[in-house]
Amino acid sequence: MEGRTEYLRAQVAPAVPTVGPGPGLLGEAGSGEITHEDLDRARDRLAVERARRAGSGRISLVRRLWPLWLLVGPGILVFLGENDAPSMLSYAATGAQYGIGFFVPFILVTFLMAFVVQEMTVRLGAVTHRGHAELIFDRFGTFWGRFAMGDLIVGNFLTLVTEFIGIRAGLSFFGVPPVVAVGGSMLLVFGVILTHRYWTWERITLGLAAFNGLFIPAALFAHPQWGALGHAFLTWSPFPQGGLFKPDVMLLLMSNIGATVTPWMLFFQQSAVVDKGLQPRDIRAGRTDTMIGTLLAAAFGIAALVATAPLLAHGIKTEDYQAAQFAQALQPWIGRAGATCFALGIFEAGLLAAMTISTSSAYAFGEVFHRPHSLNRPLWEGWSFYGILLASAFAAGALVLLPNAPLTYIVLIVNVIAVLAMPPALLFLVLLCNDREVVGEHTSGRWGNIAIVTVTVLLIVAGLGYGLVTVFPKLLGGG
Amino acid sequence: MKPEHGTVGAPPGRVEAASPREGPDVDLEHRPEAVLSVLEADQLVAAKERAHLGRMRLSGGVRVLLGGLRLYVVAMMIIVLVQVLNAVHGGH
Repeated sequence: MEGRTEYLRAQVAPAVPTVGPGPGLLGEAGSGEITHEDLDRARDRLAVERARRAGSGRISLVRRLWPLWLLVGPGILVFLGENDAPSMLSYAATGAQYGIGFFVPFILVTFLMAFVVQEMTVRLGAVTHRGHAELIFDRFGTFWGRFAMGDLIVGNFLTLVTEFIGIRAGLSFFGVPPVVAVGGSMLLVFGVILTHRYWTWERITLGLAAFNGLFIPAALFAHPQWGALGHAFLTWSPFPQGGLFKPDVMLLLMSNIGATVTPWMLFFQQSAVVDKGLQPRDIRAGRTDTMIGTLLAAAFGIAALVATAPLLAHGIKTEDYQAAQFAQALQPWIGRAGATCFALGIFEAGLLAAMTISTSSAYAFGEVFHRPHSLNRPLWEGWSFYGILLASAFAAGALVLLPNAPLTYIVLIVNVIAVLAMPPALLFLVLLCNDREVVGEHTSGRWGNIAIVTVTVLLIVAGLGYGLVTVFPKLLGGG
Repeated sequence: MKPEHGTVGAPPGRVEAASPREGPDVDLEHRPEAVLSVLEADQLVAAKERAHLGRMRLSGGVRVLLGGLRLYVVAMMIIVLVQVLNAVHGGH
């Protein structure tokens, strides 16, 4: 820690912001003075300090938890953002094809894997105050940095397309025309950034994320067999018929992993931690935030699977259903109210992820090209940041309006691509989190390293298995 | 270690730190010193724009690993492309 701090102090020394010729004068970015972004972040920090001071001693539970309430956000948002339209549709497809069984505990494990990964971004962001893309370019150079950015930009754009598929699908249940659904959602994405304040943006998106919980009532309307659910958690069974090594099972397996572990999550959470202004002593709160997000997202994801399990029980083939039609297909079995919860949940999942993923792209772009990259920037100052955010969302939304696209298939494939792009991203993460010059005393411990290497190896093995089964369908006894 | 309430960036004695005891409407805009008291030195935009972490020295093994994973990604993407084309032609 000392080494890095000393290094940075030496670098920062000539750049210490001048306070300006008089009080109240804010500097423009690059002027060496305190900017609007600094000011907003300082306000957030001051609120945390006050809450900490008020939260000590013998006081009510609410006041004790208030500092945590102020510090949570990036972790919950990244996980509920990743419970996005393709993820929920992937769980829905899994439930409809295999019911309650092997995939229930499997989903929980993938979320725990994701926690291991995301916790590292909290440390990196809180200690370095730099985004993931910026750190990769600084520490590994432009050659490797461009690869990482290429994976991110392509993956983000494809995923954004699927978010708008989800938005269109969810609202089609209520008879909303695609143009209105997609256009209205774009306006919402635009409307939220008009606040040009990270704190406001975060709280609005957290409020929206709460609706991811709609999958819980949808699952309850399916009247699940609790015994079967408990049995599945304990025994990882029943196993998919024909084993795991069948192309369609491998596709779902990969898709479910991709529903929890993806590159955009690394970039988003680290940048959000920086934008929120977290500091090293907030790392514990950041971990709690990430764990809350993990558990909520796992519960809601499993609920989506449980909600569609009746389709398997009633012998309904889902291959003919497009993403839009899961809610319609479910209605006879879970009722109008259950299907409404499911459809609204898919809409929310797409909308929230459209906000977080487009923000992730904008953060990365700004960090790499040294442009403003904060939701605390006024619109005129951060025009390139907001421009990228909106342009990526608008382009993806426009693509979804093309007729006759195989929407469900696109959704599954996008998740697979996300898994395949993860191993290099995880290698960067491991190297950064073990780099004393970067994180000082907050380097990963032995068990943390074992966990992340295990996750990386598992992802590579899953990817290779998927590749082998796809190229040689009968090689491993499947097909 | 960094100080918990960092005063880095302003000379000692001049800093009017924003105290958590002050009322909720502390006017930070007119007390820029207070901004410096709640943010860490390298949290300021100006500091981040000028200070960058240097390049990490990558060992041969790490370079090979990075290159290998890059090849893995490319090969897998080709497989995905083949599967997509098969699905499109076969009516998925």
